[in-house]
Amino acid sequence: MKLKTLLLCSVICILLTTVACGNNATNTNGNGTNTEKPATTDTNKDPEVTTTGLKGDFEIQYFVGGYGDAWWLEVIEGFQKANPDLKITQSAGPKINEQMQPRWISNDPPDVVYIDGAGSNERQMIVDDQLMDITSFLETAVNVDGEKIKDILISQPSIFNGDKNYNLPLVFGSWGLFYDKALFTQNNWAVPTNWDEFIAVSEQIKASGMPALLHTGVYPYYINGGLLDSAMVAANGGDTSILTSQVNLEEGSFSNDAVKKALAQFMQLVDKNLIDPGSVALNHTDSQAQWLQHKAAFIPNGLWLENEMKNDIPAGFDFGFIPSVAQAAGENNIVIPYTATIAIAKDAKNPDAAKAFLQYVFTKQNALRWAEITGAIMNVKADLSNSSASGVVKDAMDFFNSDTTTVAPVTVLNADVEKVKQDSIIALSIGKITPEEWMTRLEEAAAKARK
Amino acid sequence: MSPRLKRTGFITIFLLPTFIFFCLFTLYPIVKGIQISFFDWSGRTKEMDFIGIQNFLDLFSDPIIWTAIKNDYFLVVGKVLGIMLLATIFAVSVTRLKVVGRNIFRVIFFIPNVISVVVIGVLFRFVYNPNLGFINSFLSLFTENPVQISWLGSENLAMWSLLWPSIWAGIGFYMILLIAAILSIPTELYEAADLDGATQSQQFWSLTLPLIWEQMKVSILHIVMTTLNGSFIIVWIMTEGGPDNSTQVMGSYLYQMGFRQYHMGYAAAIGVLILVLSLITTMALQKLLSKNTTELA
Repeated sequence: MKLKTLLLCSVICILLTTVACGNNATNTNGNGTNTEKPATTDTNKDPEVTTTGLKGDFEIQYFVGGYGDAWWLEVIEGFQKANPDLKITQSAGPKINEQMQPRWISNDPPDVVYIDGAGSNERQMIVDDQLMDITSFLETAVNVDGEKIKDILISQPSIFNGDKNYNLPLVFGSWGLFYDKALFTQNNWAVPTNWDEFIAVSEQIKASGMPALLHTGVYPYYINGGLLDSAMVAANGGDTSILTSQVNLEEGSFSNDAVKKALAQFMQLVDKNLIDPGSVALNHTDSQAQWLQHKAAFIPNGLWLENEMKNDIPAGFDFGFIPSVAQAAGENNIVIPYTATIAIAKDAKNPDAAKAFLQYVFTKQNALRWAEITGAIMNVKADLSNSSASGVVKDAMDFFNSDTTTVAPVTVLNADVEKVKQDSIIALSIGKITPEEWMTRLEEAAAKARK
Repeated sequence: MSPRLKRTGFITIFLLPTFIFFCLFTLYPIVKGIQISFFDWSGRTKEMDFIGIQNFLDLFSDPIIWTAIKNDYFLVVGKVLGIMLLATIFAVSVTRLKVVGRNIFRVIFFIPNVISVVVIGVLFRFVYNPNLGFINSFLSLFTENPVQISWLGSENLAMWSLLWPSIWAGIGFYMILLIAAILSIPTELYEAADLDGATQSQQFWSLTLPLIWEQMKVSILHIVMTTLNGSFIIVWIMTEGGPDNSTQVMGSYLYQMGFRQYHMGYAAAIGVLILVLSLITTMALQKLLSKNTTELA
């Protein structure tokens, strides 16, 4: 009896407290976290922002991870020299996203944010109405060298809310299939340039006793990025709008003919047992380490792979990269990029300085320095042949600069749909679901996210 | 001031820091969590939309949460049975039986308990690795072709594969508790049992088990509570809830929804569910295990 009374009192207390606390929160008429808020207005229609002689305070938030902070320090120092009266504050570090979160929540953000690392998600920031609409600024913005920024980008900015840009890809990388050139030479295996060649060489590899492909099953976005997304674009005749329509959650965008064809291609790999059966339980380090030990010939991955595994690369291993294999003979390679973007906060206190900073950053010289300092690629078309970027990155750059390559825009799916997409490719790879069920799952997830 | 009032003041002063700490770091987060569960909130903005019990309605129509609950209770039952059985066998072996080198065994059995769960998770990822792992390598010794069982990648095997490291990591701690309980039993009782001609087995069932039952009850409750609240770690390290959500537990699903999919309100609702289920399970168990020791004897 006593226990019952105590429990009843506890429940009543908790409910009262809950209601009391709840009254302090803002009640709005939002339709849920998946509903994208109305686009913010591009307040500055004039791209002719001066990039020198700026005054006031300017704050930049940047994550410091694998790329380090040397490039940032160099660029910010240059920007400071150009604007001696500007008081620049740098909020940076490996935990900066978590550290700055309270300020974003309380609408006191920095002016510019480099969105990368744990705890960051550009799409969510857009959904949460935290980033400035820079569509019209980007239409005409030129960098400090007088080049139109949009013209020198490898990958164009992602489109949200129909036709809006809120961020600019700064780091550029590509998903694709990696292989060991030395192994292929040794076995006289032909490097595939289209789907038929890929299937042919994969069967040859399998016949030699090695699985053709292993992947990072614990993180299924690797196989989505490295294989499925490019297959969907290739099946769509090289038209990358299929990915944009999926990002915009358009009805039927996950079940059209191109998707069906891409899934059918994927099922060929499953049906022919070309995928290492253990892949589904492997995380990135496991799968990459096993691939380096020739437990399989191909691995879908990103351009960071060589740098990430540099301490484990066996002698004689020669990294090879193919952006896509799903295209038919004679059709363009498809590049599915990944990126880390830079954006201006919607509530930036110094938007002019923020825009000026973007104009200062996006130059070929800064892109060259990025490659030299980080070994990776910045999202600017620059000649890296004499830079210290890795061989595989230079190979990739050749693809990006080629006329026979289609570079897709960077797309970020709604987080819920992305999760379903990841779960479903794994379910498909282990024979749990059919391609039709994959499409049903994705269409249902997209419909739910549209509400 | 009366002595009684003095005493009350004294107690209050000494209890106050702990009480403040408890309110700040235990009670407030619980209340705040319950409050957030009534809102639609990404966890990244100031704005929170009050949606009443919608998160809970969505939760109960979400098939993944039912998988998670099933998996949590699979681990609860599996760990209770596995840990209690093995911990009791080991505790009795190193106390009541004339085992050679029993102190070494105590240390060996206890070692997993001092290893971080994260390390255990990583370690067992290697053990279960389909291509290079110890288990498949061992099984391959007896087969013509290499064994390539995907222990963590098969929906039928993954939960069983997660269960064993959880048991392995827990045996040592509960074994120590039971050893302490066994050693507290007066030796005269065993001497009397010997004189009556009781076998080791009879002594266990009629003496040891009834007299360590209270300790076993506490252990079982502790296993249940730590599993419902802590299975997240081993799952997240080893499978992240995959493949296709088949190893999702409530804790991992909470993390997934809150920090990967930015549904903090929904995640808070899962947190409330964990709280409620923990309370119900604990109370049900207490009722179930409330047999007194003489009934067992």
